Amino acid sequence: MASNHSHPEADIAWFIVGDKLALVTTKGTDSSSVHSKSGDWKGIDEAVTNGILIHYYAEPNALSTTANTRLTAYPDLDNSMHASLIEYVKAKLYIDKAGTSNDPNVASTAMNMSMVHEKKWQDSMVKFGSRRRDKIGGTRVVKTFDLR
Amino acid sequence: MGGYGIIMAVRRLTVKNIISRVRQTFPQASETYLINLINDALLEAGMYRTKIEYAKTTTVADQMWYDLSDVGSDIDINKVFRVDFMDSAGDYIKVPRLIDNEILKMDVT
Repeated sequence: MASNHSHPEADIAWFIVGDKLALVTTKGTDSSSVHSKSGDWKGIDEAVTNGILIHYYAEPNALSTTANTRLTAYPDLDNSMHASLIEYVKAKLYIDKAGTSNDPNVASTAMNMSMVHEKKWQDSMVKFGSRRRDKIGGTRVVKTFDLR
Repeated sequence: MGGYGIIMAVRRLTVKNIISRVRQTFPQASETYLINLINDALLEAGMYRTKIEYAKTTTVADQMWYDLSDVGSDIDINKVFRVDFMDSAGDYIKVPRLIDNEILKMDVT
């Protein structure tokens, strides 16, 4: 069922506090009460099924460690970033190795290797993470020029 | 002649591919531990806005607050960047974000 707001962009707004989304409206009556006065912000005034559409940055889905399909599953990331996951895993494994080795030379080398892989991971995520998933980068021509 | 078809990236790595590459260097690493590490990486990747999703929710009359908590929900929201509201024609219209949220009336319901 549609709402009774013909111009929601003019009298509805949203904001976030912590883990809560607030949806407020200025729609009201000519009453002077703060509970219903038109122009004052107050909670959204009507029930609308699927009335809000939220666009958000989400966390990728976690992989199962027990499902039968766990080894054939694809990580929930753009495929261009799949190889970067190897860098992260190796960085952590080298830290483990450095922490458990009794040989200071092995530990030192492992720490260096960990930093190399950590840097590759950071580079791929921080520098290129958003760019790689950008499907509209670069020059595009959707209609040929009219040269007449 | 091949023509000018769109070249698509088809190279994807399965969990097995990732594990096999890691085991070139760490052959003793357990499968469960490696998958847990991949999950840690996915969690960290989520901080860099790698995945965009959409969700709908139902409004309640005179209710100001709606829960975005990850707990007990099907959706894991890191950051909301746009909210639309259904208008009288049934279309979703972008509504503005209120920057100054120190409003006069604050319902906690």
